[in-house]
Amino acid sequence: MVGEFEFLILSAAAHLGEEAYGAAMREVIETKGGRTCSLGALYITLDRLEAKGLVKTWMSAPTQQRGGRAKRMVRVTREGVRAAREFYQAVIKISSGTVWGESRGRSRLPGDAA
Amino acid sequence: MKGRGAGWRSVEAAAGLLAPVEREVVLGDLAETDREVWRALGDVLGLAARRQLSQWRSWRPWAASVGLALPASLFLMGCSVAASADLACALGEPGQVQLLWFSLPRLLLVIAWAWMAGFVVGSVSRATLWASLLACAVPCLYCLSKWPGEGLSHLRLVVFFLPGLCGVWRGRREMQLGPNWAVLLAAMAMLTPLMWSRGGWVYGCWLLWPGGYVAAMARRKQK
Repeated sequence: MVGEFEFLILSAAAHLGEEAYGAAMREVIETKGGRTCSLGALYITLDRLEAKGLVKTWMSAPTQQRGGRAKRMVRVTREGVRAAREFYQAVIKISSGTVWGESRGRSRLPGDAA
Repeated sequence: MKGRGAGWRSVEAAAGLLAPVEREVVLGDLAETDREVWRALGDVLGLAARRQLSQWRSWRPWAASVGLALPASLFLMGCSVAASADLACALGEPGQVQLLWFSLPRLLLVIAWAWMAGFVVGSVSRATLWASLLACAVPCLYCLSKWPGEGLSHLRLVVFFLPGLCGVWRGRREMQLGPNWAVLLAAMAMLTPLMWSRGGWVYGCWLLWPGGYVAAMARRKQK
């Protein structure tokens, strides 16, 4: 099963589809995931995911927007989709019956502001 | 981060620590975002540090630095000090021609062994050469600090450093040797620790592995 950060990367790549590459994925992780993401963590994890066969990466043609530099494009493979789905379903299953697993708005965590 | 000021130049300089392809990708990613210089610098240095750390999960950097550069440094220092003493004695006294004939082949063996050790260090782990150089330098610096009066003579430099550095340079460029060269070096690798017999037979046997590695790589290339 994938780890939490691997799941975030798979999700960001899936969100971006054909436009998935390092800087764009980091933007998605930081804005939608609400957590900081260094390029080091991103590329090391991408290498690991690629070694597991969960993503495929390749170099794009250089673009003017990036000062004539290429992008490392990312695509989630079928195995990657399966692994992300497994992780997601495990989180949903294990969260059912918990305070945070209930539908939003109905319950509050003990520490939540009133 | 689209500026081209000193900040960006420092980021580009730090990106020199990355592999060329990754350097382009990372600098491109940074060029299209609005990160502050220090964050961009942190990104680049963080990635370089992670890449370097991931290298150490393999046996190669350990074999090159702790397994070869460190013991080879100690062995070659001992040999080069003894060789320079032998030669100084032989050249100082004209009657000592026999000693000269005995010393020269031993000296050539050490030079060849130093070249081969450098070649193996360079070819086994190119990305962590800095660690191998450090492992080689630490015993030298320790000895120089402990016996400052001895100094490092030119002969010792020739015997030890130059062939080693030439070997490293060649090892980095060409991962394998031709079979004839490999057999010759493997034979020298067998002879050198036996002829010098420094540090006991276990140490001597350990110093045989670079010759075995060179021969094995040449055999694999032939297949």
